[in-house]
Amino acid sequence: MSATRSPKVAERVAPKASDPQPQKKKRDDDDGPDFATLLRAWIESHRASLLDSLRRLGKQPIGSFFTCMVMAVALSLPMGLSLLLNNVERLGGSWQRAAQISLYLQMDASPGEGQALREQIKAMPGVSDAEYIGREQALEEFQQQSGLGDALKELPENPLPGVVLVTPNEVDKPALEALRQRLSELPKVQQAQLDLVWVERLAAILKLGDRFVFGLTVLLVSALLLVIGNTIRLHIENRRTEIEVIKLVGGTDSYVRRPFLYMGALYGFGAGILSWGVLAFGLDWLNDAVVGLAGLYGSDFSLAGVPVADGLSLLLGAVLLGYIGAWIAVARHLRELAPK
Amino acid sequence: MIRFEQVGKRYPNGHVGLHELSFRVRRGEFLFVTGHSGAGKSTLLRLLLAMERPSTGKLLLAGQDLSTISNAQIPYLRRQIGVVFQNHQLLFDRTVFNNVALPLQILGLSKSEIVKRVDSALERVALSDKTDLYPGDLSTGQQQRVGIARAIVHRPALLLADEPTGNLDPRLAAEIMGVFEDINRLGTSVLIASHDLALIARMRHRMLTLQRGRLIGDGEAGV
Repeated sequence: MSATRSPKVAERVAPKASDPQPQKKKRDDDDGPDFATLLRAWIESHRASLLDSLRRLGKQPIGSFFTCMVMAVALSLPMGLSLLLNNVERLGGSWQRAAQISLYLQMDASPGEGQALREQIKAMPGVSDAEYIGREQALEEFQQQSGLGDALKELPENPLPGVVLVTPNEVDKPALEALRQRLSELPKVQQAQLDLVWVERLAAILKLGDRFVFGLTVLLVSALLLVIGNTIRLHIENRRTEIEVIKLVGGTDSYVRRPFLYMGALYGFGAGILSWGVLAFGLDWLNDAVVGLAGLYGSDFSLAGVPVADGLSLLLGAVLLGYIGAWIAVARHLRELAPK
Repeated sequence: MIRFEQVGKRYPNGHVGLHELSFRVRRGEFLFVTGHSGAGKSTLLRLLLAMERPSTGKLLLAGQDLSTISNAQIPYLRRQIGVVFQNHQLLFDRTVFNNVALPLQILGLSKSEIVKRVDSALERVALSDKTDLYPGDLSTGQQQRVGIARAIVHRPALLLADEPTGNLDPRLAAEIMGVFEDINRLGTSVLIASHDLALIARMRHRMLTLQRGRLIGDGEAGV
């Protein structure tokens, strides 16, 4: 925004009494600058605005840092929750893949027929694996797990049917339901049971989480726009005279707006970087505890960090929010200066 | 250059700034607008600068109708005008050079052209040796001359000045008026709003007299 001038240039271009007069210069003025000159001027104006904004932010490093930090916290909350939900979804997905369909066979199905059925099912499309558990084995396992061993021994005959446990390779509910329907129609199958209640509950919780994150994002983005808008408004107040003078000597709205937009974008950039750092550090810090907990359940699950694409989206979003917040603040001020 | 046709200005609170004002200013003319406080001098200047729009009538400046000019066109109109304020309106965090260079930076001129034109403007107001100083380092008269240099540096067709000698002693006021006459001799139309009748009378230029928003006199000062 400000042209600098070296003494050498001043000496080189000494003022002359015979400087061009308005009438004599009229032709040059009417011709106007060519496209290359205008482009150079435009680039120079942007460069100057960016440097001016950086200089002004650098003049108040602590204030600028805290503004960025407030914005970073507002950005980190929804983004952090969203990343945690992604991790929970990933965990839920691995459980979902372990979902099984239990085929209870008719009581008269022999072990040979059970094994044959297992082979037939294993060859079916959509089936990853199938395991046959005979009636005797089922009773044994039930005795061990229920603690009713002696009582069950008193029964006149084994009440448990043979079971084929089918592990599907499809994970979505309609596909699983279709497979269950096909399996239930096989000979010697009494009942085919697919227990998806827990999967549905998890999906419902994740959906609720998504909605919560969305609502929180809307709220915090609004707060962020207010923060940046208010910060830029203070900068505008400090430069009110300058803006009025620029407008009176022919500065366009975009010329007035430019340094403030850069300032908003720089605040956003700083906030984005800080937020990315906070999230990366926070997830890494949580990961040790999560890995320890998952280990206790025999799982090798660990939290994924901030993916580069997500980090870049966060950064871009923060810059855009800063830009938009600044735009709104400056537009309001420019409306006040418009002729009435 | 300027044509007022039945121009009126009424504010939302009911106050009437100007009553059906009609007059013309030729290209290259030197003109005073005078009157007591509240006569409408500043309103007239604000209309010419498109800071306000006329409520009635037609106001033409260099062929453009300021009653209907779009907000987007206003900056380009103002680039044809130089303006000098009573309180200078200088930017105290910028050097004299950068204050004067501001209109040229807005025009997008090259650095070398800016240096050339700023030097020329500062020489006209006899401040060539003050380029690297800040306005706070200058006297009131020098600050006013920086304001004049900024107003003429982009070679406007019209120079407007609102009470440019209001804060100056008589010697400095005469000196500043001399600068305006020099600028006028180069072809720039000059319109000065002032209530300093003694000074105006000495200069013998056309003078419009306003009273409560009405034009009550149009003739040569001192006659």
